[in-house]
Amino acid sequence: MTALDNYVAPTSLEEAVEQLLELGEVTILAGGTDLMPQANAGRVKFKRTLMNIRRIPELRGIAREGDEIRIGALATISEIMAHPLVREHLPLLVSAGDHFASNQIRNAGTLGGNVCNASPAGDTLVPLMVLGASVELASMLDDKLYRRTMHLPEFFVGPGKTRLATAELLAAVRIPVPPQGFVARFHKFGTRPALDISAISIGVGGVLKNGMFTDVRVAFGAVAPTPVCGCATEEALEGKKLDAATIAAAAVAARDEVHPISDVRASDWYRKEMIHNMTKRILEDVSTSH
Amino acid sequence: MSQQAINFTLNGVPTRVSVPVDMSALEMIRNVTGLTGTKYGCGEGECGACTILLDGVSLNSCLLFAVECDGRQVTTIEGLASDPLGLRIEKAFVEAGAVQCGFCTPGMVVQARQLLQDNPHPTREEIQRGIEGNLCRCTGYVKIIDAIEAIAVGKES
Amino acid sequence: MRRKRPGGKTRHIQDLDVQGQLYGKILRSTRVHAKIKRIDTSKAKALSGVHAVITAADVPYQRPIGVAKDHFPLKTDRVRSLRDEIAAVAAETEAIAEAALKLIRVEYEDLPILADPNDSLKPDAPLIHPEPHGATAKHDHLKQAQGIAYLGKPDNVAMTFDYAQGDVAAGERESDVVFEDTFHLHYVTHCCMGVSGIIAEFDSSGNLLMYSNTQVPFLHKREFAEILNMDPARIRIIQPPIGGGFGSKLDIYPFEPITVFLAKATGRPVKLVFTREEEFLASPTRQPVILTLRSGCKKDGTLTFRTVNTLHDNGAYTSWGATTPFVMMQTISSLYRVPHCLYHTKAVYTNNPYAGSFRGYGNLQATFAVEQHMDMMAEAVGMDPLAFRLKNAQDPGEVTPQGMHFKSCGLKECLTTAAEASGFLAKSTANAAERGKPGRFKRGIGIASMLHVGGGAKIYPSDGCGTILKMDDFGSVTLITGASEIGQGSETVLAQLVCEELGLPISAVRVVNNDTEITPWDVGVHASRTTFIAGNSAIGAAKKARGKILAAAGKMADLNPDALDLRGGHIVETKSGKVVMTLAKLLRQLHFSDKAELVMTSFYYEPPSKHQDKHFKGDVSAAYAWATQVVEVEVDTDTGIVRLLKVTGAHDVGRVLNRLGLEGQIEGGIVMGQGYALTEELMVENGVVRNPGFRDYKLVTAPEIPEMDVRFIETMDGEGPQGAKGVGEAPAICIAAATANAICNATGVRIMALPFTPEKVYRALKQHH
Repeated sequence: MTALDNYVAPTSLEEAVEQLLELGEVTILAGGTDLMPQANAGRVKFKRTLMNIRRIPELRGIAREGDEIRIGALATISEIMAHPLVREHLPLLVSAGDHFASNQIRNAGTLGGNVCNASPAGDTLVPLMVLGASVELASMLDDKLYRRTMHLPEFFVGPGKTRLATAELLAAVRIPVPPQGFVARFHKFGTRPALDISAISIGVGGVLKNGMFTDVRVAFGAVAPTPVCGCATEEALEGKKLDAATIAAAAVAARDEVHPISDVRASDWYRKEMIHNMTKRILEDVSTSH
Repeated sequence: MSQQAINFTLNGVPTRVSVPVDMSALEMIRNVTGLTGTKYGCGEGECGACTILLDGVSLNSCLLFAVECDGRQVTTIEGLASDPLGLRIEKAFVEAGAVQCGFCTPGMVVQARQLLQDNPHPTREEIQRGIEGNLCRCTGYVKIIDAIEAIAVGKES
Repeated sequence: MRRKRPGGKTRHIQDLDVQGQLYGKILRSTRVHAKIKRIDTSKAKALSGVHAVITAADVPYQRPIGVAKDHFPLKTDRVRSLRDEIAAVAAETEAIAEAALKLIRVEYEDLPILADPNDSLKPDAPLIHPEPHGATAKHDHLKQAQGIAYLGKPDNVAMTFDYAQGDVAAGERESDVVFEDTFHLHYVTHCCMGVSGIIAEFDSSGNLLMYSNTQVPFLHKREFAEILNMDPARIRIIQPPIGGGFGSKLDIYPFEPITVFLAKATGRPVKLVFTREEEFLASPTRQPVILTLRSGCKKDGTLTFRTVNTLHDNGAYTSWGATTPFVMMQTISSLYRVPHCLYHTKAVYTNNPYAGSFRGYGNLQATFAVEQHMDMMAEAVGMDPLAFRLKNAQDPGEVTPQGMHFKSCGLKECLTTAAEASGFLAKSTANAAERGKPGRFKRGIGIASMLHVGGGAKIYPSDGCGTILKMDDFGSVTLITGASEIGQGSETVLAQLVCEELGLPISAVRVVNNDTEITPWDVGVHASRTTFIAGNSAIGAAKKARGKILAAAGKMADLNPDALDLRGGHIVETKSGKVVMTLAKLLRQLHFSDKAELVMTSFYYEPPSKHQDKHFKGDVSAAYAWATQVVEVEVDTDTGIVRLLKVTGAHDVGRVLNRLGLEGQIEGGIVMGQGYALTEELMVENGVVRNPGFRDYKLVTAPEIPEMDVRFIETMDGEGPQGAKGVGEAPAICIAAATANAICNATGVRIMALPFTPEKVYRALKQHH
């Protein structure tokens, strides 16, 4: 058992990834809102070094880069919700943020942290998948700062597990600016507005033009070890007119394609029922949105 | 466990302490600097009893690493004694009967300050949402909401 | 001003430190039911900074604790639930104490688990508390101890209650309508925002000082003396401000004697504070109950009989939860007029968490069943729920067959006030008409009433409280009362009663109530008794002071004392209001005169109501509190989510003493009732608590609370302080019952198990259609 015996707080991305390579066993600290309780409960063991990445300016900020909006890994949920670019182009993230934990946690919790924590119920993950987001991963390659991007669905491996390499840091999330006519909805099932771990969540997005729904993306949270794409549901919707028959078929497809578990929050049966009913509700809402 | 020396401003006073790197800011505030107004209620960010302001933004000190306070401004409930808005909130809490056992109160007051700073005239519903991360088992929240509303609508006695 | 300030200066027990203190931590069982084969503490003892590691073997003098004396603080030969205390550590820091716990090795031999109270009653069920084998050396000293022996049980029945009035068979023969249903009530827990904690230290003479959040300091002094085999006179309890009580601090729990053992073993003060997880696992719960109710009425709506059988899951040990039938049977027999009643309870041992006392004390469970049957019977005989209740409601002056004497009773006024204020009848009819129609959201309205003790409770041989009132030479008063403050606002009410007698501003009264060495005796905070008993006691002392002051003033000013009054810190002529002199001046003069004696003492004991006999007949309180609550809900039939929209409450409080404080109690109680009805559930599976944290044990948050309209009915109780009655528990009691009735009004579906989680409601709706 290695004990936590080293603390570093790099001030540039380059320094951070260099140290990652050098030090090997590193626990990354961003907002701390997941790390602290998980460490206290023994669900996460600290590695030898704790790296506080909050002093790295390159990880901050929200900006438009070409056809994408780049949200730095350290952007807090509150910052994202208040940012004009997000409010203009990605209202889905604003509405999802409104269901995220509490004001205090929104003020501390970061987007990068929520993504890397890879909880199947992570509140930003389903909306990010619906928006077609990618992650920007930084590392040292041949003594140079190297960045690669990866689509979000590929990034998740299991609860708390991602394809982030040992010496790699999530630098940002990149989201394509949605096209004209793009509509999206996120539903987090719960009895409270926020401060709730979702029993299920659903995101639906696509382009609605002349009554036809195209470029459809569907994602579900808390029904599998990772947030998942609703491929069968997408298929049931793609290129269709959002009428009652399409919506009913899509809701059934959604229910049939998820395989949730039973836990303290809900049974598998109830989760499937809610996926069905809420998919239907969201689609009805989308169909009347213009 | 490695110790880390950090410098920060605690309620306006320059402070230097040495803390274990895995220590929470809550533990540091209570056990290292000896300010016990910030309360431990759950240790996982669910109850808000430990709410503080970091550079003027409210968060749960139980989820914050003490080392992260380095170079920053930490304000606890004790620090609101020299903050005009904080004092108004405290007075409104007393007037409205918003304090029963008093355990959730410091966190509520700090969060109320955040809320009123972000939105000086919140609606009742916005107040309820603003304190959704603060649990209270005694009051049923009504008098707490009343207290914050009194300031929001300028009806403090 | 005694009201707590919000500036963060209130020091709760978690905030106190004593010079030289060590930190205590408890090692708890990892098995639900097992024999302890071996405990190895050697590695823990060797850890630097550890001052003591103790197990049962180190405290051969420990005595069993709890209501039935069936519970050793440190477990001797077996563990009976997952929370069971096996060993304890005192160390220089909490971190060292925690590290030491991890070094203790325990070998177990698993025993079969009893997780269902029905299984505990089966003839071949394993015994949770088998009788000790013969008079083994281990138990010898216990058997010799006076009245406090751990004897075990030949079966798993912890406690039984049987009550009968009239002839239920005859009642059933007269009935036109009979219903029988079984109701399932779940585990919830207090969730005080301040976790449990204690500091214990022995002084150089061996006297024990405890900083403790107990609600019953004087009773605990005695009980600690028994447990520790000490002279009670050498025990002192100081109560720092408490972070919530709600009944949880009415019993002694293992962590308290264990901390004392650690203090004894180390010769140092020891502080022990729970984590939130520990608080969920190792503090008591509300009693889970399976309740079968059979009730009937005549065509004209007259109630005829009730038969009740309840099975209480007692958990592994017996605390106050086992005695809740005492209160439950009052609701069964006397909330409404019922000529024939039969009531049987068995509280049985299981390997689950054990139940303590919790605001409402069994009444939430009983009311949940009784008030659902009231609606069902009303519907069956074609009466509206309000008329049906009014027909059977109690009146002032009534003595019920159980022997309760309702000297003041505002039930009918509560019913009509709450119903009118909420528009109950019209909404109820309109909602029922909407039921069959399409639409996702359904509205419902439901009504329920409650009866609870409001003038003390004859749980102990007497119900008394003492007051010492002293006046200084500046016109200020110190009120030294035996009644503890647990956040319910009793300090304010007591100070206010004294102020009214003495014509002083509230800022002139200080309340001292937290040190057994100083305060006079009191039974403790429970049973909504403080305003009534301690209030009367405080008024008694204040009246004495008033008499003395006016007599002295009369003498000094050569006026008739009967023509004088105390107003605004002055002695005035009653008729003209002319100031004779200031109170401060008079008091200064008196202090420098012979035999001024400006210290008053008074004791108040509940007026001689007959103690209940062994058949549970007789009066239990000097006064009774009544309330009706109307709950409005919206049911989302797509999800089963039930939203509480509005609660209209009418409470017979005797008289309003402090409106703000009263409202605060009621609002807090309503939201606690809301949690019981809708969101809170301690999930226990095979003896394991699945959700020991606020993440999945959901307290109601601010955005979820309903709109509240609370009305007070003032019945001016003849015995109450200025007519007031107790109210602390009342507001939590009817919410679940009224919510059940509201859901039925909205959907036509009656659900007889709590809580109304979305999944449970959705499932019920699906099954219905």
